[in-house]
Amino acid sequence: MGWTKIVKDSFVLVGISVVAAFSVNFFSPVGIALVGRWDDRQGVVSARAKTDSAGDALAITDVKVAKQIHDSGKALFVDARSRDDYEEGHIQGAVSLPVGQFDEAVEAFLEQYPSEGLIVTYCSGRACDDSHRLAQLLLALGYPNVRVFIDGYPGWEAERYPVE
Amino acid sequence: MNEILSRIADNCWIELAGRWFLGLTFIYASYHKIVAPANFAKLIYGYDLFAGILINPIAIILPFVELVCGLALILGFYPRSAALIINTMLLSFIIILSINLIRGHEFDCGCFSSGRSGYASSTEMTLVRDIIYGVIGLQIFLFRKPRKACIAI
Repeated sequence: MGWTKIVKDSFVLVGISVVAAFSVNFFSPVGIALVGRWDDRQGVVSARAKTDSAGDALAITDVKVAKQIHDSGKALFVDARSRDDYEEGHIQGAVSLPVGQFDEAVEAFLEQYPSEGLIVTYCSGRACDDSHRLAQLLLALGYPNVRVFIDGYPGWEAERYPVE
Repeated sequence: MNEILSRIADNCWIELAGRWFLGLTFIYASYHKIVAPANFAKLIYGYDLFAGILINPIAIILPFVELVCGLALILGFYPRSAALIINTMLLSFIIILSINLIRGHEFDCGCFSSGRSGYASSTEMTLVRDIIYGVIGLQIFLFRKPRKACIAI
């Protein structure tokens, strides 16, 4: 069967693939870093793509800080998960704005919550970036003060903080 | 029965159809991974089997291996090697799926669309599909008669 030739030809095909892959990734506007951030102790996991717009500056990394903000009553918590997930359980007082249905739901949200106060988005924890995406969308709409609670609903629930 | 199977395996038109089918399938499968590598990386993370340092290189390289091998099968450019690489990828994926199936870890395979997390496709169906692709790949790999429409064998 000519294994030497098969292996040699395989190296040619893989070589072409590797060169093409790194070249396209380097020039592509949607390219990603060579090493991502996959340790959730360092924050929300991410491939560190060029399109990543949500900076760590928005992040609330401590559940206790999120609870203090919640208790102050000055922030609106916004749930970025699906409506079903929201209905199964959400942070007490939070409103639903699923990032997957943002276009359909945003008009009602704008009318109901024109507030210039603090908005805290959250989703399903550090493996989820929906809350970051929602935060960016809200900032783009002109909401001036948006933060992201990165531990999300699982982190909140684990602390036995109030849910509904 | 064996004779029928052997006639199918030796039929150059079936080999050509298999190459084009598998080639188009892998080109299609590579597309959404190439246009959204970050989503694909997240799916690999969801498999919960790879060290963090490997996730991005896999997400960058793998779609292009699929694309190049898919094109190679269609063009008839080193088809035996392309089939070998594709079957190696399929076998690796079958092993990964099986491990996750055994340990009850459900996830989106991300095979044909970078669906949002939480929309897990049926692991059993994916396994069956990959095994069928593997059989087609094996026929291409083992084919010994003159091949149709090849630019470099």
